[in-house]
Amino acid sequence: MKVKVNDVELDLPPGTSAIDAVFAAGYDVPYFCSQEYMSPIGACRMCLAVVGAPRKERDGSWIMDEATGEPKIFYFPNPMATCTTAVMEGMVIDTLSDVTKKAQGGMMEMHLINHPLDCPTCDKGGACELQDRAYEYGSGESRFVFTKRHNEKHHALSDLITLDRERCIHCKRCVRYFEEVPGDEVLDFIERGGHTFIGTVEDGLPSNFSGNITDICPVGALLDTTSRFRGRNWEYDHTRSTSLDDASGSAITIDARTGRIERIKGALNTQVNKNWIDDGTRFGHEYVDSGDRIKTPLLRKNGKLEPVTWEEATHFIAEKLKTLSGDALGIVLRSDATLEEGVAAKALADHLKTGQIDHYPRYASSVIPANPASFNDLATAGAIFVMADATEEVPMIDLRIKDALKGVNPPTLMPHGVPIADLRLKERMPRKTNILTVAAPYRVDLMKHAGQVIDYKAGTEAQLLQQILDGSTDAGKALKESLTAADNAVIVLGAFVLNSAEASKLADDLAKATGAKLMKLGAMANSFGLEAQDVLPAKSDYSYPNMLAGSAKGLIVSGLNPAQNAEVAQMLGGLELLVVHDLFENETTALAHVVLPAKSGYEKEGTVVNLEGRYLSVNAAPVDGGQAVDFTGVVKELGDALGERLEGRSVRSSRRLLKKELELDLNDLPLEGTVVAAKSGKVSGLKPNSSGNALLVPSMVRPEYLSRNPHLLASTGGNALRLHPADAASYQLSNHDVIRVSVGGFKRLLSVHISESIPEGTLLLPALPDQPAGLVQVDVNSIRKEQFALEVA
Amino acid sequence: MSVFDIAKGMGVTLGHLFKKPVTVTYPEQPVDVKPRFRGRHHLLRHPDTNLEKCIGCSLCAAACPAYAIYVEAAENDPDHPTSAGERYAKIYEINMLRCIFCGFCEEACPTGAVVLGHEFELADFKYEDFVYGKEDMLVGTKGSKWQRREAEKKGKDVKIGFTSGPRPELEGVDY
Repeated sequence: MKVKVNDVELDLPPGTSAIDAVFAAGYDVPYFCSQEYMSPIGACRMCLAVVGAPRKERDGSWIMDEATGEPKIFYFPNPMATCTTAVMEGMVIDTLSDVTKKAQGGMMEMHLINHPLDCPTCDKGGACELQDRAYEYGSGESRFVFTKRHNEKHHALSDLITLDRERCIHCKRCVRYFEEVPGDEVLDFIERGGHTFIGTVEDGLPSNFSGNITDICPVGALLDTTSRFRGRNWEYDHTRSTSLDDASGSAITIDARTGRIERIKGALNTQVNKNWIDDGTRFGHEYVDSGDRIKTPLLRKNGKLEPVTWEEATHFIAEKLKTLSGDALGIVLRSDATLEEGVAAKALADHLKTGQIDHYPRYASSVIPANPASFNDLATAGAIFVMADATEEVPMIDLRIKDALKGVNPPTLMPHGVPIADLRLKERMPRKTNILTVAAPYRVDLMKHAGQVIDYKAGTEAQLLQQILDGSTDAGKALKESLTAADNAVIVLGAFVLNSAEASKLADDLAKATGAKLMKLGAMANSFGLEAQDVLPAKSDYSYPNMLAGSAKGLIVSGLNPAQNAEVAQMLGGLELLVVHDLFENETTALAHVVLPAKSGYEKEGTVVNLEGRYLSVNAAPVDGGQAVDFTGVVKELGDALGERLEGRSVRSSRRLLKKELELDLNDLPLEGTVVAAKSGKVSGLKPNSSGNALLVPSMVRPEYLSRNPHLLASTGGNALRLHPADAASYQLSNHDVIRVSVGGFKRLLSVHISESIPEGTLLLPALPDQPAGLVQVDVNSIRKEQFALEVA
Repeated sequence: MSVFDIAKGMGVTLGHLFKKPVTVTYPEQPVDVKPRFRGRHHLLRHPDTNLEKCIGCSLCAAACPAYAIYVEAAENDPDHPTSAGERYAKIYEINMLRCIFCGFCEEACPTGAVVLGHEFELADFKYEDFVYGKEDMLVGTKGSKWQRREAEKKGKDVKIGFTSGPRPELEGVDY
């Protein structure tokens, strides 16, 4: 459609909004209520412009202007909100006229009537849409001489989000966000007119995606409590990176100041997370600045760990390595290590001629599907079968499934980026819930949005998949048919399926039989990449659990804490060399000969591969980590001590190797990442439990760091043991009890949450990196109640 | 140039010989500074409530051309507020070696909390002693760090080497 914005003529597809036409033409109008990926509603009335269009005669010909001989433009009687106006053939938009300017200035004055003038104390100051737009479009003075509205200034909407009701300009972004994006309606307008305020019915914001409202709030009304009053926006160093909290590879912006991370915000990756991130990613960063981080290498001298130089520590290791030749040494990385770290670990293992190298946590089957689905496949899928607790495991899957339920395809990008007002999106759209089937051994959040729900007993994944494959049950048959019939079907497999080689095989068969694409939720951020890079044991006897069972005489462990298990701790105590590369002192460092300071996922430079096979850059934020290094740094220091220039001694060196292999320059990845096809690795050597009275479940917040994340700890109440009231009665537990209990040999500190929705006879507790999701035996006789209430900082 | 010109020049010199000298025998004798003289900063309090005027907004730090100011804010305890407002400066530091005494901080301050006073005797021995914190600048503190250290050692009052006229912006500051 031919549209003219001021003096620029454009040809735009029908359905484009007038505001996008203005931005596409390179002009600007102010707006507060429109938001990328959300419905336009025209609430703020800021994007007013003089708009007109030609009209047709009854016979279909244009009504002509006799003076010019061109079609006559009929202007709307008043300025129009361009965000809710669709373009028409021949439309004329004037954003520079005096009428437009006066309308915008008037609306600006109106918005500022009740907005407090506390910009100097407001955390949004300097990055505030209202502040910027008032400067650009406001008249500079107010005729409102009366007292402004006064309201609550720090209302805690939840433990993580603070609402300043005076600052709210009623743009409705947050209210619409909850209904449209995660589909959790937890926020609404209360009262009317100038008295309108945002409120919740229940306490808190029961959603895994609540933090996004702090990003989209155009003023400082909704603020991230973890970063309240920590600094001003212009003082932060903004680093765009990729989240290492789950396998989605969500784009984040890390805001750091004076060596500390002050907040995490969502960043735009149109192919992965759009603008959104989950609360675990957003609020789970406080552990990085925790005071007890290991900042220098530590060496055990006379039974005590003492700070030493890198040189002293690595020379001690090099000396020991002389006696630990060949396969006597094991090297393990945690699965959120970057690709470069994986290459470095492999290079070190090659140099030391050991085949005992692994990454953990990983599952009994491969996380690289033959026919992988992308996030956009998921968002446009005609049928989705989820066999996982997606909302906790990889929360972004949950959000993108909800895109598919709306049935609106991802928008086409405009010259200015994502359309500001996508007119296909509406408030309270009907959802196609019948395309979604969710199967899980307990009640998961996504089931609220699913047309079909399959409950099964934990451990019977293979039987369930067999039934679906055979079509032996009605539900299974219907599911298989719908997956086959849909144009674009996606099967999402989580930990419970991947942990069983048999179930995983059947799921692959189901995908093949129905033509569906597969998404396998890796255990951690780089499970896909480390498997694709073959950071795997040379033979199945050399897997990490086998190393802990005694196949290694020396061990280099990065990021894992195996000594939580008392039996393993005993074995580790007898090792000739135990090197631990970690952030904090823990049970394993207590046994280590050498402890090396590690970098957190926010300080690393590197690349991760998300569950689609997309290579994404991880960039380092300026965080004070002392002498911490990532695993490439460990390899460099060890190489220096051994007198060798090892491959993988730096990110650059690792990338050189990867460039040859992948034909991909990792120094030059696009912001959206690059998908490279990968083959599944030789995954073997794991024998997960096939029985147990409890289920380790994936969780959005990282349980290993929860005690050092004070705000998340307060909002979640600590790592939870969830159980049915009947079980609670038989173990004499009541709600909010804090207990210590032995879980598969691990001593765990858990708080009790009793709920009817938990299947009777199964206890649910969060999985740890060293104790991945799956069945486990809880020793119920070992339950000890703690006398103190869980300490909340 | 004639002899007459030389005599005229010498006459000027001679004339000044009989005028009152502008030099003072500092430090024995105090220097008189003008009211708008820009010396060491003061952090002011509201005289009625005794709350700090500084709300930790960091605008002074943003305006500072020499990057001499560092502010870290925190939330006020509603029962025992430090400042009048939601936030206060938990840390407020000015590096007097970096400061060029331009007064931009004073201009940027939305509450009139930071004002450049008349103290100029800031010489000291160690780099770290030039970083002035809140306790060194809050109203009621007289003298530079070194002057206060000396005064404490000798058990006397801080002796400052200047006299000055009043300046209304320096609310509560008494030299």
